Amino acid sequence: MPGVVCEQVAIEFPTAAGPLKVLKGVDFQAPAGQMTMLVGPSGCGKTTLISIIAGLLRGATGSVSVFGREVTSLSGSELVPFRLTNIGFIFQQYNLLAGLNAAENAAVPLVASGTPWPTALQKAGALLDKLGLGNHISKLPRQLSGGQQQRVAIARALVHEPRLLLCDEPTAALDGKSGQAVMSLLRELAVHPERAAIVVTHDPRVYAFADRVAHMEDGLLLKVEEGKTAALAGAH
Amino acid sequence: MIRVAFKILLHDTAKYLALVMGIAFATLLISQQSAIFHSVMESSTRDIIEANEADIWVMKPSVETVDQPDQMAELTVNRVRSTPGVEWAVPYYQAIAQLRTSDGRTKSVTLIGVDDSSLVAAPHKVLLGSLDDLRRPDAIILDAAGFAAIFPDVPPRTGDIVEIGQRRAEIVGISHTGPSWTGLPRVHTRRSLAVEYARETLNPVTYVLARAAPGRSPDEVAKEIAKATGLQAHSRAGFKAKSQEWVLNFSGVAENFGITILMGVVIGVAIVGQTFYMFSVENLRQFAALKAIGVSNRRILGMISTQALFVSCVGYCLGIGVASLFFALFSPQLTGGLRGMFMDPAIFIGTGIFIVLVTLLSCVISVRRVLTVDPAVVFRS
Repeated sequence: MPGVVCEQVAIEFPTAAGPLKVLKGVDFQAPAGQMTMLVGPSGCGKTTLISIIAGLLRGATGSVSVFGREVTSLSGSELVPFRLTNIGFIFQQYNLLAGLNAAENAAVPLVASGTPWPTALQKAGALLDKLGLGNHISKLPRQLSGGQQQRVAIARALVHEPRLLLCDEPTAALDGKSGQAVMSLLRELAVHPERAAIVVTHDPRVYAFADRVAHMEDGLLLKVEEGKTAALAGAH
Repeated sequence: MIRVAFKILLHDTAKYLALVMGIAFATLLISQQSAIFHSVMESSTRDIIEANEADIWVMKPSVETVDQPDQMAELTVNRVRSTPGVEWAVPYYQAIAQLRTSDGRTKSVTLIGVDDSSLVAAPHKVLLGSLDDLRRPDAIILDAAGFAAIFPDVPPRTGDIVEIGQRRAEIVGISHTGPSWTGLPRVHTRRSLAVEYARETLNPVTYVLARAAPGRSPDEVAKEIAKATGLQAHSRAGFKAKSQEWVLNFSGVAENFGITILMGVVIGVAIVGQTFYMFSVENLRQFAALKAIGVSNRRILGMISTQALFVSCVGYCLGIGVASLFFALFSPQLTGGLRGMFMDPAIFIGTGIFIVLVTLLSCVISVRRVLTVDPAVVFRS
């Protein structure tokens, strides 16, 4: 089932030295039920691509379809509820709200879409329990380790059961062991037959968790490795 | 999301307190200075405020303010009484006189001569003695602050004999009145005695106090009096406004207080605006994360407005509370410069509206940053 389909996506940004082409016509797919990793060196356009897929960055040419909805044709006011309902985000810097405890942070997408706080907290608490944070739901972000914060971010990304999960360097701020643990949990909870998961990373140690690995360089998609081949891509 | 807004606001206690204290300080500065200015303006029309039985004041055309009266013949009272629409009219005399104590000390006083028979315009609050004692020979009532100024270190009492205009006067009562513009002790007596104390020979009056007949507007009746007598006549409110306008134009008080209040406003705007702006900007990344997740600009606007309203209300309550405490502690005193000073309800309301508006304005300015922040910023480390 096609989750995300990008066709000839291109974007350029004005600079003092003239327009800078960041994406030069990318064809990319992230099927539902799979974890697709988007890998490549810094500045190759990975984050730009997922920003376009999420509707956070506009002005791109080409086509971006998320479960049949053409994202590039959605207006600004249509994109907001679209993101809230369909997309879960995991950021490199977690971006948890400092004043909210773990359960409240995880509950934010539900509350934002109108779920009453008690129901949202119950659901978030259950998910945090699955992520091994059952004893930490009342703790503030500053009271949690980096790995624990990222697990709260995973809970926040999945609590509203989005169809698309976008992860930007989820292990970049973690040590190797914590990174592996986070990716293991992410793999276990995020991969779902009706959900597509895209993980942007340049950490080869986590390639083994992918179903597909898409290699980008200089604004272009060079190759896609699938299945066991993808797991071996870490050797590159 | 209101709960999230409160959590973001209250999480950083230091920033929250800085916001609240900034708003409280601005509130205190603005409300206190405005109240003192308002009280000073009220003191400039103390005689008009005290003589509240009369709703019309009649005077010579040359009079510009209540403290600078001009003399008229006593017969003027009858001319006012005969004007249609006047219920009653009484003479009123006011002058500056010299008071001499038994040990030879002198002091200038404001001499107020009230109608001998009705005692209209006599002090309302007599602390020692009684108003009827004013009918006794040589009787005067002195205000408490004036007594303290004339007899330092002596507790208020009656029975002292003094001289005014080289004539015997007995203090038969001590009154409590608010501060006057001149700051001089206020001596109330019967008009017939007052003109003797002032060593007048023609038995003059300085004002005629009148009351409009039931159902008649004081302004209308004042116009009729002016037309019939050729004198200047105003309603009580009109004369108060005219006197205050003169003070504003010629005393410099408006400039002095205006600058202080303006400083309060500027400091208030700077503190409130900058603190709230910094608060919002420092939380920019958190708001960007919310926007990326799918929280609409409208909801973020609601969150920030709620934060602004909450801190402005808390800060306002704190600031107005301290200002009120200041006046509650100092204004009821019988002597001293702050006696009778008060905070008008309009200042409570006006300061509140101003503080909320300033906070919302700074909220609008900071919201612009938040609403235009690129949500993709959350993808940057």
